[in-house]
Amino acid sequence: MNKLLIKNGTVILPQKDRTIEADVLIDDGVIVQIEPGINDGKAEVINASGCLVGPGFINIHVHFREPGEEKKEDLLSGSRAAVKGGFTSVLCMPNTRPPIDSPLVISYLLSRAREIGLVNVFLTAAISLGLEGKAMTDVGLLKNAGAIALSDDGKCVKDSRLLYRLMTYSKYFHIPIILHEEDTDIAGEGQANEGKMAFKMGYRSLPKVAEDSIIARDLVLAHSTEAPVHFTHLSTAMSVKLIEWFQGQGVKVSSDVTPHHLLLDDQSILQYGNQAKVKPPLRDQTDIIALKEGIQRGVIKILASDHAPHTHEDKEGDFNEAAFGISNLEIAVPLYVKALIEDGIINWLDFWKLLSFNPAQFLGLTKKGSLEAGMDADITILDPDTHHEVKVNEFVSKGRNCPFDGWKLKGWPVATIVNGKIMMRPS
Amino acid sequence: MEWKHKHLLGIDQLSGEEIKILLEKGNQYRNWLEQSPKKLTRLSGYYLINLFFEASTRTRVSFEMAGKLLGMEVVNFTNELSSLNKGESFRDTVRTLARMKADALVIRHRSSGIPLYISQFLPFHIINAGDGMREHPTQALLDLLTMKRDGIDFTRNTVAIIGDILHSRVARSLSIGLKKLGSQIIFSGPPTLIPKGIEVLEGQVIYPVEEAIRQANVVYLLRIQKERQEAGFFPSTKEYSHFFGLKENLKNTNNGRWKKIMHPGPVNRGLEIDSSLVEKESSLIEEQVSCGLAIRMAVLETLILGGVNG
Repeated sequence: MNKLLIKNGTVILPQKDRTIEADVLIDDGVIVQIEPGINDGKAEVINASGCLVGPGFINIHVHFREPGEEKKEDLLSGSRAAVKGGFTSVLCMPNTRPPIDSPLVISYLLSRAREIGLVNVFLTAAISLGLEGKAMTDVGLLKNAGAIALSDDGKCVKDSRLLYRLMTYSKYFHIPIILHEEDTDIAGEGQANEGKMAFKMGYRSLPKVAEDSIIARDLVLAHSTEAPVHFTHLSTAMSVKLIEWFQGQGVKVSSDVTPHHLLLDDQSILQYGNQAKVKPPLRDQTDIIALKEGIQRGVIKILASDHAPHTHEDKEGDFNEAAFGISNLEIAVPLYVKALIEDGIINWLDFWKLLSFNPAQFLGLTKKGSLEAGMDADITILDPDTHHEVKVNEFVSKGRNCPFDGWKLKGWPVATIVNGKIMMRPS
Repeated sequence: MEWKHKHLLGIDQLSGEEIKILLEKGNQYRNWLEQSPKKLTRLSGYYLINLFFEASTRTRVSFEMAGKLLGMEVVNFTNELSSLNKGESFRDTVRTLARMKADALVIRHRSSGIPLYISQFLPFHIINAGDGMREHPTQALLDLLTMKRDGIDFTRNTVAIIGDILHSRVARSLSIGLKKLGSQIIFSGPPTLIPKGIEVLEGQVIYPVEEAIRQANVVYLLRIQKERQEAGFFPSTKEYSHFFGLKENLKNTNNGRWKKIMHPGPVNRGLEIDSSLVEKESSLIEEQVSCGLAIRMAVLETLILGGVNG
């Protein structure tokens, strides 16, 4: 039986900018009908009464660590975390070992992901060979092998000429560029946001200007080349301002944030220690306000999460030696509910645009990101009234490096349907 | 008709009518080349200096043969032999040459604008055999002659020029010539090698390469130099040949007939063009070489004798 019927939910239609009370019928992995009062004796029924039913969430920034660092995460554990977190699609970053810089690694990972078959796993290929920031990868051949975006994430593309050429060259292949922005000359060995906290604690600092100055450079490059450029994990008020100004000039640049940059500031280091060590570093309240306003005004169009799992060994001990990163894939959605819905920054329709429709548009996934007949049956069902406490020791991700342990969050995904298959069922 | 140009510095300075005169004369020489033995005396007693500051075999030999076939005395002067290596300035080298009392000077130099510069003080006929990224007029003329002899009507002709337009003097000269004869031009290749400002050549930029080729009846491939990869214009030769190289599967046909293939040479087989296509029936690449010799004879004669002997 391939038919599935989701009944009595509030259906989110981001492509039409509205919500309706309706049922959704799925057949053989494809949405076939959205209407009130559908009955189909052959379909398995999910009761979504009181829930929101929308296109599956797409997380455009995760690290699944495979190949090479399977102790931290692998495609299976990462996929399970995605399902639990209500994500039907994820975009993996290429900073694996070896990096995703050859068609061989891409076809290996895609066939592994197909075997696992829990969520749609998409791949980002490296911008530079070996992520070394020197020579451009075979962009066209990597796209043909299955990569849908380019990034050197984890590192900044320091060489302006390389990035300028890449932005020009990659237009031929219509593949977006995702940039991790950090001037490494300025950032150096910095460990925490520049300011009172880093100074008081005696940590070397990561100044905001390291992010802002490179974003300014790359906005100018994007302006000149008209390449589709995306800035990931924005963390500063100035970066929002810069992007907004260039968008006003007609430059097609987009950006995303993470939940932790909306919920925690640099004071969190006191409370959470190494678990709050991340790149870019947690900033301060003015930045949090600016990021939220940026989301509200449509400057920031995508909510990602920079899911960065690490082993216990990588995260413990000396703050200065601990790895950067937060494991958050399975709680990113309720974290965003807390940061954006509960604060009244955006409504549920916008929420779904930021987590599904806009990411699908950005990545050119034409069959995803909206609910209508003919689209892929990737669906997330969310119960806005569910309360749970975050229990990091129950994470299905291998990465338990997460400062949100013990937080009580509201509004969790309760079902995840991928290509018409129920991967997480409402309990 | 009186020929009003003392030099051939670029195609840009010629009118469509003047190009046609050179093509007609070149056509006659191309026919004449089929006979053996061949020796003319029209330019006997005239001296030609070949001054090549940049590596070249085919162009230099072509000019040398063209001169000799017309009865000229030819002196070759290459960079390696020059006093420039001994610290003499370029200007002094050229001024020394000026005292040699030759009649015509063929020059190739890596710097755009050198032929124009030396024409301002040298008493010879100056023929540009390629200056930097600016012009290579005899290449354009030989390409046009090859097309003409293949029966192409320039007013119903679309040429797709594929590859490194940015660094190519061939692309510039050929496009200017084609436009003056009423043809349409399409450019394609890696966007890094399709420069801003290309609209001065009055062609159309079309991506992808497949579509550019589909709309053309002549496919003109430019040579790809290895250093362009090192400078980051494209990632690898593997990727270049896969996406921008001419291959059998590029639907290179027009109503079942193969499109004409041209290349200024030397060809990188397997890079800008699949090896099997170089010698294909529709390839004009080898004929371009013969037309090169004929057109250079036409140019030498026209410049030196002033076009009177049409």
